[in-house]
Amino acid sequence: MRTLQRMRGHLWLYVMILPVIAYFCVFVYYPLYQGVISSFQEFKLLGGAHWVGTQNYTDVWNDPKFWQVVRNTLLIGGGILFLGFFPPILLALGLNEIRLMLFKKTAQTAVYLPHLFSWVVIGGMWIYLLSPSGGLVNELLGRLDIGPIRFLTNTTLARGVMIVLPIWKDMGYSAIIYLAAITAISPTLYEAARIDGASRFQQMYQITMPMLKPTMKVVFMLNILGLLRIFDQIYVMRNGVIKNAIDVIMTYVYDTGIQKYQLGFASAISVMVLLATLVMTAFVWKITGFGQED
Amino acid sequence: MVNRIQDQSPATSVAAPSDSTGDRVFRGIVVVCLIVLTLMMIVPFINVLAVAFSSQLGSMEHGIILWPRQFSVDGFKTVWVNLDLERAFINSAIVTAVGTVLHVALCCLAAYTLIQKDLPGRRLLLAFILATMAIPGELIMIPLYIVNRNLGLLNTLWALIFSGMVSGFSILLLRNFFASVPFDLAESAKLDGASDFTIFRTIYLPLSQAGIATITLFELVGRWNQFLPVVLYINDSKKYTLQVALNALVTENLGTSGMSMVTPNVRMAGIVIAILPLLILYPFMQRYFVHGLTLGSVKE
Repeated sequence: MRTLQRMRGHLWLYVMILPVIAYFCVFVYYPLYQGVISSFQEFKLLGGAHWVGTQNYTDVWNDPKFWQVVRNTLLIGGGILFLGFFPPILLALGLNEIRLMLFKKTAQTAVYLPHLFSWVVIGGMWIYLLSPSGGLVNELLGRLDIGPIRFLTNTTLARGVMIVLPIWKDMGYSAIIYLAAITAISPTLYEAARIDGASRFQQMYQITMPMLKPTMKVVFMLNILGLLRIFDQIYVMRNGVIKNAIDVIMTYVYDTGIQKYQLGFASAISVMVLLATLVMTAFVWKITGFGQED
Repeated sequence: MVNRIQDQSPATSVAAPSDSTGDRVFRGIVVVCLIVLTLMMIVPFINVLAVAFSSQLGSMEHGIILWPRQFSVDGFKTVWVNLDLERAFINSAIVTAVGTVLHVALCCLAAYTLIQKDLPGRRLLLAFILATMAIPGELIMIPLYIVNRNLGLLNTLWALIFSGMVSGFSILLLRNFFASVPFDLAESAKLDGASDFTIFRTIYLPLSQAGIATITLFELVGRWNQFLPVVLYINDSKKYTLQVALNALVTENLGTSGMSMVTPNVRMAGIVIAILPLLILYPFMQRYFVHGLTLGSVKE
């Protein structure tokens, strides 16, 4: 009874948060529920759906194209995750060594720039830059008597491009996270090391690097969860020739669900990925000790 | 702590006196690597700019273009007028402006409620909002499509505005900013008979400008770059936003066809138009983005 009175006293506070709660109900929690329901249904083009039990899940399981996109996702996402892990750390360590503020700021501004733009901009730009007819990359290779190389019509090269481009695009972003962490390291550690005669490189290797470990864990965790969500870059850069080699789970969900209107089938994939994400989240939290005091 | 990244880090500022030869060699290597890296980031953009301002013929010539060939703004005229990027630009501007204002307003309101210590059910509300952050939007795209269809929002700009209109991330960030406002201020205002909304408007909003600026800038950029929701909800090319209209223009693959109706100067002009608003925001972004980045390390 008293709680109820207190709640009435705060009526306006509840009114203030109401739109947000309503929004999440309609655009997050209900769709989540609807997605699970849909995965057990088959949809008609003219509207309406009927129950098909676990048929969609069996279809997904027996679909070779599904396993192909899972493989592509692991190859491309895994590539980004592992090859892209160290460059931002090295970049941050490098930036931290620079004394000339103008240069440091210019470099920082430049490396963060691509992160600001959409995949349409980055993808469209690189399709042109990698083009065999007049693209910058092939022109440069031409000076070395190489090529022209058709990067985006060769399945192996295209996969490589899908791995390298996101690293190029987002390196500066992660580097700034690391740089913020480096700034928080106590200067007394460096002072002590200097008194012991440690060189700049030794200080970097034996103080900065170990002190960055917690940040590395957090960044790695965030990246691992992003692995299954790759969509824009593939959607923008794929073409008929390389489609099978670079299509990932999310583009397949889009293609089957929205283009082919197999909403049930696509929902079944989403539910499977969602479960995988939850398991991965729990697993990653466990190995990185996230959420515990470190 | 947040703004210190702009200043010299403590590690370097005290290092000045003792510089051995080894240290100088080491720093030299670092500088060379960073110059190479900076060029790798910048040169592609210079190429894009140079091609965009070249004439049609100039842009099709082979060779490395880092300065406009036969300076011309034909590419911009073609893409803006003939290919009607103007309409798409306006659609994007509407969605970005309306979406950002609603996002910031709603998230601020919710964040204010969440800092009330004696509010019954506060933890429940917080958990309800935090849990949404564990659900990536991509994974519910199919049901979201169904929801928007059932609400009759397909092919309307409202579908795009509603998409991401509220986010747990923004609410949490604002909540951290609000929580740093001295509680006594609100307390004494309350004793003077001020209502919650008055306190929110006259004390919390003005004292959390940095937080609000951060959210606004992040949201502006995110909105401008919004892509998946557009290809999900919009079929009608009259409702295309800039990103999707541009996608049709720039991804026609040169690798496969070799020849194209749209010359490089037109494509690159489209790209320049898409990045221009962000370049204008960029200097402001730099002041604030560290606020957003460091949120990850703040624990409840």
